[in-house]
Amino acid sequence: MTRSVSLRLRVNGVPLERSIPPNRILLDLLREDLNLTGTKRGCDLGTCGCCTVLLDGVPTLSCLTLAKLVEGTEVTTVEGLGEHGELTALQRAFVERGATQCGFCTPGFLMTATALLRDHPTVSRKEIQEALSGNLCRCTGYVKIIEAVEAASRSGASPSLP
Amino acid sequence: MAYALHFPRTLDEAFRLLDPEGTEGALPLAGGTDLLPAVEAGRWHPSALVSLSRLPLGTFERTEHEILIGGTLPLRRLEREPDIVRLLPGLVEAIREVGSVPLRHRATLGGNVVRASPASDLLPPLLALEASLDLRSRDGTRRVALGDFLRGSWETTLRPGELVERIRIPVPRPSSYRWQRVRPANDISQVGVACALASSDGRSPWRIAAGGVEPHPQRLPGAEAALSHEDPTPGEIEEAVHRAVEGSRLKDDRRAGEEYRRHLLGVLLRRSITSTVSRARTMGGRGT
Ligand code: FES
Ligand code: FES
Repeated sequence: MTRSVSLRLRVNGVPLERSIPPNRILLDLLREDLNLTGTKRGCDLGTCGCCTVLLDGVPTLSCLTLAKLVEGTEVTTVEGLGEHGELTALQRAFVERGATQCGFCTPGFLMTATALLRDHPTVSRKEIQEALSGNLCRCTGYVKIIEAVEAASRSGASPSLP
Repeated sequence: MAYALHFPRTLDEAFRLLDPEGTEGALPLAGGTDLLPAVEAGRWHPSALVSLSRLPLGTFERTEHEILIGGTLPLRRLEREPDIVRLLPGLVEAIREVGSVPLRHRATLGGNVVRASPASDLLPPLLALEASLDLRSRDGTRRVALGDFLRGSWETTLRPGELVERIRIPVPRPSSYRWQRVRPANDISQVGVACALASSDGRSPWRIAAGGVEPHPQRLPGAEAALSHEDPTPGEIEEAVHRAVEGSRLKDDRRAGEEYRRHLLGVLLRRSITSTVSRARTMGGRGT
């Protein structure tokens, strides 16, 4: 049996230290060990974007990432968006525009778009489409999602990270 | 599915961990975008994964005649590297079509080349750009042209214990990559055609390679020979298309049938040639 390894990182602003099997995948660490089930498992192959989290602010597919490899980084999941229980401007735009139907894809879209709007507070429709092209949605047909990101970008309130 | 995970900081340490006689079944781990799903799904059973993340393989260098890309540099970094954007436009066009942005933050050029997927969108431009590899092992570094490195689908001449130190690409190279697929993002091309212009030294300056052909992406020497100079006539382009289609065995699989691929090869070759010609004008002529 392979020995456990120690892991230190911050998740949504909270420092964390634990011992994990070396083959622990980040997605499983979040969902199974930390009970942060907002991050979804869609394909487990890197093609749907449902498992997207931010690693030091960079959108990353947690299903393709070994937990041990992100030692020392700050992981932000959908649970870490907004402060004091308030939604971010982007999340409010998703609600107002009806950009969510079943909601399975929503956390992934929110994380990808959060990073996009942080780097480019005003973006064109084309830039939004490109940035979100790795996130699949089976329900909405994408139009409402793109509109929501556009609305949040025009609202000028760039989404806050912890 | 248990395996040990190592993070060597020096190449010597990495070679010791990857030694096939010492640690049976140890595999190098670069971006992991291909390897981890295979391990998780139980298709591969490594005894250990040796992460390359802390090794000095993430270098980027530009000399007068070459760009040298470290084996573990993520694709996302490459598509934003001004020298690559300016001097190797055909490579950037292909990189931007791989997976999605988050995937490209992890996937590496070295990993893509070593996996040698017959459906890789990066192999056609790398072949047309006459890339070569510096392969590093305990015994030193050997250089091999990409065309000699690829042996078949998923097959290369990489030896056990060898790592991709650098990918070398001559610059500048007016170049272009044209492709067709079912969905633009998160998909793989049915056919992809890359063209690049090199110095002619009496032969054709054209370097042309295609994916979607059997058994793996390869150069199309017949088409190259049909184009004798940088600005070919419509007749010469048609001759190149004819020879490309005649001289290639097209794939026939769930992504596309052979007949459709034959059609695509012609269409995409014309587009790629035309776009390379106009790039040669704006880039101020061919490369080295
Ligand atoms: S679950 Fe990670 S990309 Fe689909
Ligand atoms: S809302 Fe159902 S998958 Fe996107």
